[in-house]
Amino acid sequence: MDFAYTPEQQTLREEVRQFIAEYVTPEILAEVEESGVRSRGPKTREMYQKVADRGWIGISWPKEYGGQGGSRIDQYIVEEEFGRVGVEVGGAGSGAPAILAAGTEEQKKYFLPGLIRGEISFALGFTEPQAGADLAGLQCRAVRDGDEFVINGQKMYTTRAHSGSHIYLMARTDPEAPRHKGISIFLVPMETPGITVRPLWTIQNDPPAPRRTTYGDRRTNEVFFEDVHIPASCMLGEENTGWYVGALGLNLDRVGASRYLLSVQRDEDIINWVKENDMGGYGPSQDPAVRDRLAELWIEAQVCRLMTMRSMSLVERGGTFTYEGSAEKVWAPEHGVKTTETIAQILGAYGQLLSSSEDNIEGGVFAHNLMGAFQSGINHGSAQVMRDQVARRGLGMPRG
Amino acid sequence: MPKDPVCGKDIDESGARASTGQTAHGAAEVDPNMGTRSFHNGQWYYFCSMDCRTKFLASPNTYTG
Repeated sequence: MDFAYTPEQQTLREEVRQFIAEYVTPEILAEVEESGVRSRGPKTREMYQKVADRGWIGISWPKEYGGQGGSRIDQYIVEEEFGRVGVEVGGAGSGAPAILAAGTEEQKKYFLPGLIRGEISFALGFTEPQAGADLAGLQCRAVRDGDEFVINGQKMYTTRAHSGSHIYLMARTDPEAPRHKGISIFLVPMETPGITVRPLWTIQNDPPAPRRTTYGDRRTNEVFFEDVHIPASCMLGEENTGWYVGALGLNLDRVGASRYLLSVQRDEDIINWVKENDMGGYGPSQDPAVRDRLAELWIEAQVCRLMTMRSMSLVERGGTFTYEGSAEKVWAPEHGVKTTETIAQILGAYGQLLSSSEDNIEGGVFAHNLMGAFQSGINHGSAQVMRDQVARRGLGMPRG
Repeated sequence: MPKDPVCGKDIDESGARASTGQTAHGAAEVDPNMGTRSFHNGQWYYFCSMDCRTKFLASPNTYTG
């Protein structure tokens, strides 16, 4: 087993770093800060196009759909380098893995090049007011009408609904079937008549969370579907198999640098901060208790990294991939929470100064992280649901 | 004027549905201060707040009689 990057991968990382040093300018970072990570301003779009021109968006996707046919490690390297400066460039987490796995040829040829060009982006339309952790209880209905489906219902906490071009919608197509077997997935353009978006402002909105904040989204949304007519060709995968297509997509979307960085970036931040600051003579880097905690965090972070690498290796080799992503989704966010607690102990009250405070530390990212870290164990599959998947699929236990 | 089925407050249904703008890709946006709604048994119900809707969804039969 070789844990080293190949010379080509090391070269790729170096090229990405050079690109970031040259093109991810303070102006672009300010624009990202201003508009939020997920809404691109004009300068950011221009920079993004340069990234796409180099073939780095969807670098692991097949060439016939606009990708480069590279490996998941290549994609990881690109995502990790951009992620470290707080600029999202897509790849994993984009909806593409599910389209590649379950989409028609027509859907692959339409969506994947669009994702690469930055013209297409998805909002994840799974959660409903009464169907979050118990997602199979969803009630949004899609009723077949000839060559169309008519959708009525609502979605909740749909974070990218205001910025995305499409919603990756999970809806019930057979209410008579067992809960998990009457669900389908649709890729629905947001401009379709009958879709309404209602903003929900988060605790990260005022004052605004700094770039790189864990779960720093300032806005999420409710989305209402009122007699929304869509062609049947919007369906992803077979009718009534949406539960499995959705689970596969979520699992594959979790594989990559985004999830990893979400949970370990604050480790690196606080380690660097402690090394660079002596807090008026306190000297935290010489404090045995601080050193002990930070060493422990670093060790745990290596476990996060190894789990990510193992998942990518499994996907790369086309192996079965079910509970491994769930295990990672438990470990990494809980590590992130532990990091948050450690930061609170090291920084004390200083760590609570928000972005609006003139005396904040690192732009207030630690304080905003304090508000966002706990969310990472809930969003996109709660730790409890993930543990249940590990028990069933990893340990072979029956459904509870 | 329709009423919130939970608290009985008057609901400005047309206001709750009125578009205040568009998202980046053309979906209608509504004013979050005009309350929220829920699709239940083939019908839209309007609420003054998410708090009332939560109570409704926990026990819809209590409020739809």
